[in-house]
Amino acid sequence: MLSKSIFRIDRSILRPLVALLVMALAMSFLSENFATSDNFFNVMRQVSVNLCISVGMTLVILTGGIDLSVGSILALSGAVAAGLIKTGISCEGVNLYVSFTFFGVVVVALLVGAFLGWFNGLMVTRFKVPPFIATLGMLTIARGMTMLYTNGHPITGLGAQFEYLGTGWFCGVPMPVLVAAVVVVVFALFMRKSPWGRYIYAIGGNERASRLSGISVNRIKLFVYTMAGLLSAVAALIVTARLDSAQPNAGSGYELDSIAAVVIGGTSLNGGKGSIWGTVIGALIIGVLNNGLVLLNVSPFWQQVIKGLVILLAVIMDRMSAKEQA
Amino acid sequence: MLKRIFTYFVAASLLLALHGCSSSKHECRRVAVVISTLNNPWFVLLGESAKARAEELGYEAVIFDSQNNSSKETEHFDNILAAGYAAILFNPTDADGSVVNVRRAKQAGVPVFCMDREINARDVATCQILSDNFSGCVEIGKEFIRTVGREGKYAELLGLVGDNNTWNRSRGFHTVVDCYPGLQLVAQQSADFDRNTAMMVMESILQAHGDIVGVFCGNDAMAMGAYQAILATGKAEQIKVFGFDGEKDVLNAIKEGKIVATGMQSPVLMARTAAEFAHRYLSGDHDFPKKIPIAVHAVTRENIDQYLE
Repeated sequence: MLSKSIFRIDRSILRPLVALLVMALAMSFLSENFATSDNFFNVMRQVSVNLCISVGMTLVILTGGIDLSVGSILALSGAVAAGLIKTGISCEGVNLYVSFTFFGVVVVALLVGAFLGWFNGLMVTRFKVPPFIATLGMLTIARGMTMLYTNGHPITGLGAQFEYLGTGWFCGVPMPVLVAAVVVVVFALFMRKSPWGRYIYAIGGNERASRLSGISVNRIKLFVYTMAGLLSAVAALIVTARLDSAQPNAGSGYELDSIAAVVIGGTSLNGGKGSIWGTVIGALIIGVLNNGLVLLNVSPFWQQVIKGLVILLAVIMDRMSAKEQA
Repeated sequence: MLKRIFTYFVAASLLLALHGCSSSKHECRRVAVVISTLNNPWFVLLGESAKARAEELGYEAVIFDSQNNSSKETEHFDNILAAGYAAILFNPTDADGSVVNVRRAKQAGVPVFCMDREINARDVATCQILSDNFSGCVEIGKEFIRTVGREGKYAELLGLVGDNNTWNRSRGFHTVVDCYPGLQLVAQQSADFDRNTAMMVMESILQAHGDIVGVFCGNDAMAMGAYQAILATGKAEQIKVFGFDGEKDVLNAIKEGKIVATGMQSPVLMARTAAEFAHRYLSGDHDFPKKIPIAVHAVTRENIDQYLE
């Protein structure tokens, strides 16, 4: 009963779903290497990072906000994780050295991400900075702090546990995919089953009305930005593990891929309308496109043009369906 | 209350900024180091080496980050010329787009020394100290033939497709490799000089062409990403990886036999030369060659020990 309602397909995601299927079908006709189980897991692994970020982005966009800082938060959390596992913390004055276990590192990285997200939320709620500006500020702050922390150099060679997270398998599923799947299911459940999930939609639909009906809008906004930061840190752990290296310029431009996934998945940039499952499909569409165009050896110049066109097409289709319903 | 604190804060920071400008106006011992991007360790090293050498020579040196953006670079030049710097050690973002900035500096009487990347004008920069990307990749091409052989399928990862060096490197490599018709280029894709992108692109390439025997990557970050993807599919023995830059990660990987070869650029040498030339210029010697190519050597397992300290 429970599972049925989590996986219940909204009518609004039908169109992106059809688009995904058509695209996958076309790719498998065009390239014999597309529809193989190897390539399936390959695409899933590649999508998992964007997916984690995009789930957080969906929450933020549903409230009518936006988060441009996800890529930079990813870079900083990843760098902190890599730095701590590699060298720990040492205070020379008091002769103190703290080394970190893998789980310790994971917890700290998640806290860093959550804190930066919370800071975004604080700017938006307490200081009334428009989300676009608040997170734009964080985009450069977190990137700069990453540069400070790493001195602009990658941190490499992170040990067996990170390697397992990046390249290992668990019960026949690659670890990055497993992590992303857990994130998706938890948040899909949260959005559907908890009152806060409903409030997120309500705020995006009509903030004033929500406030008047007793929803503590600020607390929920603080929560969604914190979650966006936290999920960027989850994505950071995956990226860092997959590369066995934290790159100071990791994640630059990821906010755009993530916003694209959310929008292609049918979530309205005005907030109040959309779903986590739509975003999953949006992220898969982008993943299939990235993978398929390389399989077909399409020129890198054309790839950019094609990706842009697909995003536009998806939104146009969505707008048309919205009009039909109205 | 908050508002008042904020006002004080802004006022205080303005005062500090003004103070910074006024004290420097009459003292022309400052050198600006303008770097195309600090988002890449290679350029960080270039910038820091230039700054360090300039400071050794008794100058105050400041690094400006153009963030791979020509208009950002123009703003930096505005500020640098207004603040009265004595010389500019310059790593351009764009071969054509940066010309106008250098020309303005020349008109203002400030000498510009280009490092690593070229600008497409002969008469505006005082001297250009350039990494010879083309010849370096010719060397890599020869190494490719030597280790991969004269037959088989191979792939190429390009850097940013709008970047001069991407194509200089690719052309250098292909002048050698294209002489062997048995070698077939089955995939040529861009991975933006980025490690993570390179891994993803390589994963996809391996799906379509699992039988390739080599991959040439336009920089070392991409070589590491490609290697990571190849390792995960268990083809590290079959596919030989080639990079370019001489980054530390890759030098270690060459030592361990993971990557076959890279082109050793000398960011430190270029940066130091630029700083020393600026010093010579400011000491009265205005006679410089327009261009100085700095050779790029192929690093392989045979000569790796002389590059690893």
